[in-house]
Amino acid sequence: MTSRSFVRVLSAALSLLLILVCSVAAQTPPKVIKIGAVYPLTGNIASTGLDCKRGVDLAVDIINGKYDLDLPLAKTAGLPNLGGAKIEIVYADTKGDPRNGMSEAERLITSEKVVAMIGAYQSAVTKTASQITERLKIPYVCSDSSSPTLTDRGYKYFYRVSPHDDIFARDQFQFLKDLEKKTGQKVQTVAVLYENTEFGSQAGKAYKRFAAEFGYKVVADITYSANATDVTSEVSKLIVSKPDVLMHASYITDAILFTKTFKEKGFQPKGILTMAGYIEPGYLDAIKADGNYVIVRSTFALDLGKNKPLVTKVNTLFKKKYGIDMSENAARSFMAPFVVADAINRAKSTDPEAMVKALNETNITGNQVLYPWQGIKFDPQSHQNIYARGTLVQVLNQEYITVWPFDAASKPVVWPFPEWKGRK
Amino acid sequence: MPDQLLQQLVDGLLIGLMYSLVAIGLTLIWGVMNIVNFAHGEFLMLGMFTSFWLFTLYGIDPIFSIPICFVGMFIMGTLIYRFIVSKVMKGPMLAQLVVTFGVSIFISNLAVFFWTPDFRLLPATMLQGTWQVGGITLSVPKVAASVGSIIASVCVLIFMTRTITGKAILATEMDRDAALLMGINTERINSLSFGIGTALVGVAGAFLSTYYYIYPQVGGLFGTIAFCVVALGGFGSIEGAFIAGILVGLAQTLGGFFFDPSYKYAIVFSIYLITIWIRPKGLLGW
Amino acid sequence: MRNFTVRQVIAGVATLLLLIAFPLVISQSVHIHVMILVFMFGMLGVAWNIMGGYAGMFSFGQAAFFGIGAYTSSYLSVAHGVNPWIGLVAGGCAAALVAAAIGYPCSSLRGHYFAIASIAFAEIVRIVFNNWQTVGAAEGLTLSMQNESFANFLFNSSKLPYYYIMLAFLLLSLAVCYFVATSKMGYYFRAIKESHKIAEVMGVNVVLYRLMAIMISAFLSAMAGTFYAQYVLYIDPGSVMVLATSVQIVLISMLGGAGSIMGPVIGAAILIPASEYTRITLGYKGTGVDMLIYGLLITLISMYYPDGVWKLLSKIGGKTRRSVNS
Repeated sequence: MTSRSFVRVLSAALSLLLILVCSVAAQTPPKVIKIGAVYPLTGNIASTGLDCKRGVDLAVDIINGKYDLDLPLAKTAGLPNLGGAKIEIVYADTKGDPRNGMSEAERLITSEKVVAMIGAYQSAVTKTASQITERLKIPYVCSDSSSPTLTDRGYKYFYRVSPHDDIFARDQFQFLKDLEKKTGQKVQTVAVLYENTEFGSQAGKAYKRFAAEFGYKVVADITYSANATDVTSEVSKLIVSKPDVLMHASYITDAILFTKTFKEKGFQPKGILTMAGYIEPGYLDAIKADGNYVIVRSTFALDLGKNKPLVTKVNTLFKKKYGIDMSENAARSFMAPFVVADAINRAKSTDPEAMVKALNETNITGNQVLYPWQGIKFDPQSHQNIYARGTLVQVLNQEYITVWPFDAASKPVVWPFPEWKGRK
Repeated sequence: MPDQLLQQLVDGLLIGLMYSLVAIGLTLIWGVMNIVNFAHGEFLMLGMFTSFWLFTLYGIDPIFSIPICFVGMFIMGTLIYRFIVSKVMKGPMLAQLVVTFGVSIFISNLAVFFWTPDFRLLPATMLQGTWQVGGITLSVPKVAASVGSIIASVCVLIFMTRTITGKAILATEMDRDAALLMGINTERINSLSFGIGTALVGVAGAFLSTYYYIYPQVGGLFGTIAFCVVALGGFGSIEGAFIAGILVGLAQTLGGFFFDPSYKYAIVFSIYLITIWIRPKGLLGW
Repeated sequence: MRNFTVRQVIAGVATLLLLIAFPLVISQSVHIHVMILVFMFGMLGVAWNIMGGYAGMFSFGQAAFFGIGAYTSSYLSVAHGVNPWIGLVAGGCAAALVAAAIGYPCSSLRGHYFAIASIAFAEIVRIVFNNWQTVGAAEGLTLSMQNESFANFLFNSSKLPYYYIMLAFLLLSLAVCYFVATSKMGYYFRAIKESHKIAEVMGVNVVLYRLMAIMISAFLSAMAGTFYAQYVLYIDPGSVMVLATSVQIVLISMLGGAGSIMGPVIGAAILIPASEYTRITLGYKGTGVDMLIYGLLITLISMYYPDGVWKLLSKIGGKTRRSVNS
């Protein structure tokens, strides 16, 4: 052999050796119950991914320790039916790319031997990650992705705890009807604004569908790129269409930019009803008082603690651990580990089929969840939590206050949207 | 809707002048060294963060931190040129491309490492709010940025055409070998140009920080548009970059308002393609 | 036609046997996945190389062709039940047609101008697909997991078929590149890369050969796109048509060695494992350290091995042959 081809073969062999070493190093002997979590921990949406992680980590603390809280498995250390076995979350970074969602989920299952999966916030990534779990027959409990299509697939192993965007969109129209009944304030026209990835366009479709159903006229239908350099054309178009209400499905970057541009151009609808981006903790941190009076869909708000002390207790723990209040994202991701652990505990096993059977029988009562729900119970066909519902919160004094449903509200909604000029 | 037309033109002009400011530094580097600086967007980001930290930690308003940004980014640009870019100047064009790309990944993730991926906004700074002129709404920080852009372009042009150093840079841009023959130290010119180019985009960042949110990946789309602007205007041409920036801003805003906002960047890129088919060297390129 | 030396044949066969044996020895799916990505990006790099390294058209928009391939076969499969293998060819043809359509007006563009034009073109394609309801717009297309078989280009129970198919595709693209490089076409490409004027003086139809380079490159890239769609079973413009993918393809080819047949493959073999394994081992911390390492790696390689790692390996191994391809 010439030295040249020898080098080629040698380098090929060395790379294979390197891979072998990595694969050996990647295996850890199973001592605890491992659950896989795929989230965008780096990349454009990292701040959200890390926020979700905070919720998950706190949940694991509570499950593994002894806490006097009305949450499943909180009062016992670990899983009592499995001799106090502890939960360990194995995280993987998706960077927001569906391809990584697929490969990381597969790696977590086949190399790390996780028995269940949670995550992935972005619906496009959850799609591919859950395709793998469905192929490999591992249960996937999602509590933070909101695209309705995820539970339309008839998957056997995929469960969703939280509400999806169809529910959220319908809520916002129901709110308008309730508002009219209560205060006589009438709304006739809506503008629909949404960012142009899977989340936004699904939400946009839902908005338009329910607008028709509830009898409102859509006077503007605008989509845009979430990290646009400038949105003055979009806002100008909104102003010209003169809507009574704006419905906006956004991520955090566009929420910030649009709010600034609304103020700059004096966009003055009667109300701004939004999804997702406006309830990210980074939004108010950045935009401060200019975020006031925006209404956002939510499953969680700190003021729910008035009627449900559990919320305040959990937030106290959260604040102790992280120094900040619990956000809606963290609160949503918080629930999935409990559902998984509860199912494993009842099944007394981590066998996938036993877990699926236990998940199908899940019946967590309303007092054991952080949200104003009747509880957690999965529809036998779609595996969507039938009790999942949203609330609407309004930003008042830079805090998220529950304003709807009216019987759960802690303060009356401020309507219409106060003028930009008059504010401090 | 003639009223809206005027407003859209004004909006387009304001964003366009910001694009021009971002692009001037890029076209200078490109023209002199024939290097595509992929890290340009990241320098913009650094300029924004510099302005942010100067305000948050020391209370210095962005308007006053501009000279600090300029000097700081100039030094950084020179260092990056001297230690990294100069090594690949003699190599193939692809190597130069890739080096700046590696630098861009490194810098944006360094920012994540030190400052976290969270989003920041500058709170009320000196330049705030809006002016109403006629029926048109003008955002004060954007107007300030536009004025800054015009001043910067004029300054650079005067520097290039009236000072010895500037003329040396122009000469190097036009014909590198001839410049060498005339006794110009092209290495120093390279270093100087890279420094000035980086300083200019740093200043653009300082202006941008007064009305746009700040985070490690903010350079992405602005960088891509800057490349388009530079190529549209013609590599190396300051006037070209200035005009092209305005054109791109107008195309984006008018196209977005009168056609469809979801296609506004497609319109920008289409205009680039059509222009380049007609004039392959860009509008004012040589 | 060049002849291969006996030693080259032995080296080649040995490497091939190692690659064939690899997934049978290493059973962990993550490593097989990384190798599949290496092959896929290797193929994309080889495709890029044909128009870039050989013909001098540095394209930063290959993701558009990759995506067109993925979308064509997926749409035909999902909406009309067309077999993915047929879709594979259809996707290649569609990409080649689009390539010709964009390549023709860009015939006189060179260097940086061409590069930016390719970015502009790819972004336009992405925006169009993002708004095009028929192919799913922003929601993308989801392919069915049912009925796994070779005929359906779908495998659930094991990754091995995907591995071997992608390896076969890669070898096919290398063969195409070899034939192009050693034929008259390759000679004309290199002339065009040097200078349009010189090529014209030599009697080369510059426009025609540029188009051919782009079309071949597009066809191969589209094939990789169909593979990706059948592998991941979900595509949307944000994952298959992004600038980041195009840039990665250029990086791979450049770092491996543009203008050499094996260059992009080596580049893929270095960069893909580097980015995948740093993300796997460090990404979950969320500090961005994995990307820091990646950026540093790219910067250092381009500073110290600007001609690409392939040339370096050749130099270590023996004296560099004074041939135009290796």
